[in-house]
Amino acid sequence: MVAEKETPRPKPRPIVQLGIFLISHSLLFSVIFSTAGVLALLLLPVLAKNTYISENALMPGSVAPMLSNQEVAEANRLVKDLTSLNSKPLSSAIGSQRLISQYMSNLGAEVSHHKFHPQLNQFHPLHFFSSPDSGRVEQNISCALHGVNTVGIIRAPRGDGKEAIVLVTPFNSVKLNQNEALSLAIAYSVFSLLTRVPWLAKDVIWLVADSQFGEYSGVAAWLRDYHTPVFSGPGTLDAEMCPESNNIYGLNENLFTERTIYDGFKRAGTMAAALVIKVADRSEQYEDSLSIYAEASNGQMPNLDLINIVNYLAVHRQGLRVKVEKFWPLLGLKLLKTLGEIFESLGHLARSVNPQWKFGIPAADYIEGSATLASSLYYQALGVPTGPHGAFRDYQVDAITLEIFPKVSSLDNKVRQNDFLLRSGRLIEGVIRSVNNLLEKFHQSFFLYLLTSPGKFVSVGVYMIAFALLVAPLPMVAASLYVDASNSDYSLKIDKPAPLANASGEPCITLKSWKWLFAAKKVFFVHLWGSAVSLLPYFICQIPSCTPTSSFIIWVFLSILSLVVMYIVLASPSSHANESQPQRGEWAILKSVTLSAAFIGLCLMSVINFATAEIGGLLMVPMCLMAHPLKLDVKARSIRTVSRVVYNLVLGFIGFPPVAFIVLKGAFEGFSGVNVGDFWSWAESLWAWNSGTYLYIGMVHLPCWVLCIHILFHRC
Amino acid sequence: MCNLFKSIVVAAALLLLGPCTVTKCMAFGSPSSSETTMHTNNWAVLVCTSRFWFNYRHMANTLSLYRTVKRLGIPDERIILMLADDMACNARNKYPAQVFNNENHRLNLYGDNVEVDYRGYEVTVENFLRVLTGRHENAVPRSKRLLSDEGSHILLYMTGHGGDEFLKFQDSEELQSHDLADAVKQMKEKHRFKELLIMVDTCQAATLFSQLQSPGVLAIGSSMKGENSYSHHLDSDVGVSVVDRFTFYTLAFFERLNMYDNASLSSLFNSYNPTLLMSTAYYRTDLYQQHLEEVPVTNFFGSVMETIHTDSTYKALSVKSFSRAEIKMPLDQPANDNERRILADSNGQDQISNPKKEEQQGAFRHLWNTINDKVEKIEDVDSFVQYGLLVMLPVLLLPTLLSW
Repeated sequence: MVAEKETPRPKPRPIVQLGIFLISHSLLFSVIFSTAGVLALLLLPVLAKNTYISENALMPGSVAPMLSNQEVAEANRLVKDLTSLNSKPLSSAIGSQRLISQYMSNLGAEVSHHKFHPQLNQFHPLHFFSSPDSGRVEQNISCALHGVNTVGIIRAPRGDGKEAIVLVTPFNSVKLNQNEALSLAIAYSVFSLLTRVPWLAKDVIWLVADSQFGEYSGVAAWLRDYHTPVFSGPGTLDAEMCPESNNIYGLNENLFTERTIYDGFKRAGTMAAALVIKVADRSEQYEDSLSIYAEASNGQMPNLDLINIVNYLAVHRQGLRVKVEKFWPLLGLKLLKTLGEIFESLGHLARSVNPQWKFGIPAADYIEGSATLASSLYYQALGVPTGPHGAFRDYQVDAITLEIFPKVSSLDNKVRQNDFLLRSGRLIEGVIRSVNNLLEKFHQSFFLYLLTSPGKFVSVGVYMIAFALLVAPLPMVAASLYVDASNSDYSLKIDKPAPLANASGEPCITLKSWKWLFAAKKVFFVHLWGSAVSLLPYFICQIPSCTPTSSFIIWVFLSILSLVVMYIVLASPSSHANESQPQRGEWAILKSVTLSAAFIGLCLMSVINFATAEIGGLLMVPMCLMAHPLKLDVKARSIRTVSRVVYNLVLGFIGFPPVAFIVLKGAFEGFSGVNVGDFWSWAESLWAWNSGTYLYIGMVHLPCWVLCIHILFHRC
Repeated sequence: MCNLFKSIVVAAALLLLGPCTVTKCMAFGSPSSSETTMHTNNWAVLVCTSRFWFNYRHMANTLSLYRTVKRLGIPDERIILMLADDMACNARNKYPAQVFNNENHRLNLYGDNVEVDYRGYEVTVENFLRVLTGRHENAVPRSKRLLSDEGSHILLYMTGHGGDEFLKFQDSEELQSHDLADAVKQMKEKHRFKELLIMVDTCQAATLFSQLQSPGVLAIGSSMKGENSYSHHLDSDVGVSVVDRFTFYTLAFFERLNMYDNASLSSLFNSYNPTLLMSTAYYRTDLYQQHLEEVPVTNFFGSVMETIHTDSTYKALSVKSFSRAEIKMPLDQPANDNERRILADSNGQDQISNPKKEEQQGAFRHLWNTINDKVEKIEDVDSFVQYGLLVMLPVLLLPTLLSW
């Protein structure tokens, strides 16, 4: 008790002291931190770890493949029948569907047809992050347009029927390609094997997805219907909407009456994993290879274990070369090459000091790794799925697309083609057998990672450091600006009315200390405007016959108009209030609040989609940190201020989202075909896929850019 | 003052009495139950503690050992088989209702004569400890109880996933080395075994024995602390590893034996080759008095009972034929033979020649044993007691005088 009275002012705790220290040296530390953030990002390919199979139950490759030439021969028969059917122009669409279902039911599988109507890509302002099935109640379906998926289900002979593995082969029934026929053949050979094996613990679903409206929509429609059972009787919803088209295919014809083909919707259990199998139409020069696509909407990734088992089986069992998408333009970059060489020599140095330190990778690996990392970041940041597997991720099903590239000559030669089918089929069989061993959902390995090669990854714990370092200067500089501004105000006050401080100082000081509220109000309204701008396309979409370019111009025009209107309506009273105040520190307070808003926005986005936040941070952090009124700099006329003016103008120009888009696009694809309408189409694709990146651009990036421009042209 | 003094005096008296009581306890404790009683029967508790398809090998390990001990003569009613999962009926099993421990698939371990006493989720730490200590609910049938007595040799085989001083049960609980040691101690106190062999095939198996204290316990583990135990081979047809190395080489040893072979425990222990096991087998023998060279493996892994011929049916009449019966004792404990013969001569009632009878009359005989032991040791103890009492007398007198 006595002690408490004796220490009225305890020493501030170490963390507070540290904070004060950081804030007081914010310039130095912000330079250090943001450089370290960029460096850490460049270091990520070096820090990547080898992938490993984390789930014990999977046991990939522990079993000898059972797929034999017999199944491949059957599959070849299917391909031959399909191609011969396709050569006759009449009724090939119905015919090929019917042929496939005939083959499926001959194997003893349960076959059903799923009819769907393609969803038009429209802007649904309320659909971001919402559950995908809310798109079901779609009124403007044109009844003439519909596709038919063929679904075959094998029930596990001794399984409990609660889980299923899904195989998907996109297939355009109207126009059959050779490569689609091959992917059907691979799936069919595996499927026919699986009807005979005794070891299935999960049901197997083979979805032949109708891809005439794009590969994604058929799969998405089937998944939507799979997960939203209709209890009012079979097919009533479709029947109500399009009564005339109910029996258009005549699938219940007497030809199939004895068969198990069923027009209603058939289900198996919850999906453990899904594999989308595609055969690429271009061939590989030297050997059969395999491309893995994993990115789903909003940068969600399937569990790393799924990629690991595919990679393991493909490389170590079937001898396929595995690739993941790379960002090709980066491969020739001189800067990366030098960086790679520096890291390599650093690694050698570290190893010569202590042989235990395994640091550094060869320069060539570094370049490859960073190109892969860049594409991994880009596709995650875009938030648009890279294939039909994206539809599964919306239902928390782990799925990947396997695109298999045959060797150039292999498709002409019958023996080579058989070998190709056998190897691909065995790969699929191995993956299915491995997933079949699974007891729970994939959960052991990572969900948040970036790939730097098929066998290397950077986990969330590592890449978050780069991001944290990058954004750390924002709150620091914001705090130091705020402290400086309020201090200068305070000293100003103390100079003038020092004797009156006791009598009337208090309300005055509270007014001063609440000064940031005006700035916060401004920032808030600009952000509100940002969200209004991101809603505008909903109305612009309604305008008929609009080219992308004109839509884009309307969008920009409306945005500027709304900004001006908002300024007139809202800002005038506050500017009137500000008029009486000394203007000196106002821009600093505004910048401090802007920095805080940018920090909050970036941190929120890093939770939703890390890659977007990282790329956005790279653009936004320098712009926000450097923002300084041009007027002050021009007045000072030193080399430092002039260079700052130039830097600010360049950053302000680049920071405008359409400009940034066009500059990046031009840098990688050449400026010849660049058109301002491209940005509109790009944004359209973002909202069509409900990408969070669109929201980020509209509600965080754009307002911050406007505020930075406002600071640049601040009249002080 | 007075109180303090009193307590000092009482303490002193206790100190003086102490050694006397301790020696008494020791005199009663160890020799009575394990040394003197003869080997009456054999029990085996075989436990597979892990679930899930990828742990197929653990069930195969346990079933292989089950087959071996059955082949070597332990009857089914004296084997408690605990299997935490049913691999035979797992949907992933390519050979439904069959379990193999070798990729040649010649031997189906899950044939007609397999009696699983505890299966699936019944295999818990609680049930395991209940089986060992014999504390069951009333409704538990006799077939699920370990009805051993003080003349029993018990083989306790456990396999699963272990770590430093623990063994995982069912993916949710674990048995710690303390728990095991405590259970064994309780068994000892309740005269539930004469000799106990604990064989464990897990990673870091040796650590599971670190807390054992009870005499008569012998322990073998597949690996030392910090070592893993590895599976022997993968069956690429079934798609899983089918047997662990330690168990595989144990089985390989026993396949060469039949019921009447005299291979000793030390030959079993020496058969483990660390390079083949990829781990170091560990034996703990300090609690076990006999020489391993002289103990045949069938003492634990089989049930070889010597029948003792008696002239008449009733033991009351068989007193005169005693020395003859004694000579026919099994040869497995030559070191103890003399001692026991002397014992038998001194108080003939102790030895009951018919093992079956003995088993049924366990409680009665136990009472006899203690009485006999008291009688036997009375010479040494008596003098101690008397001296103690003599010393106590003046000590007791002193406070009475002072309190006056």
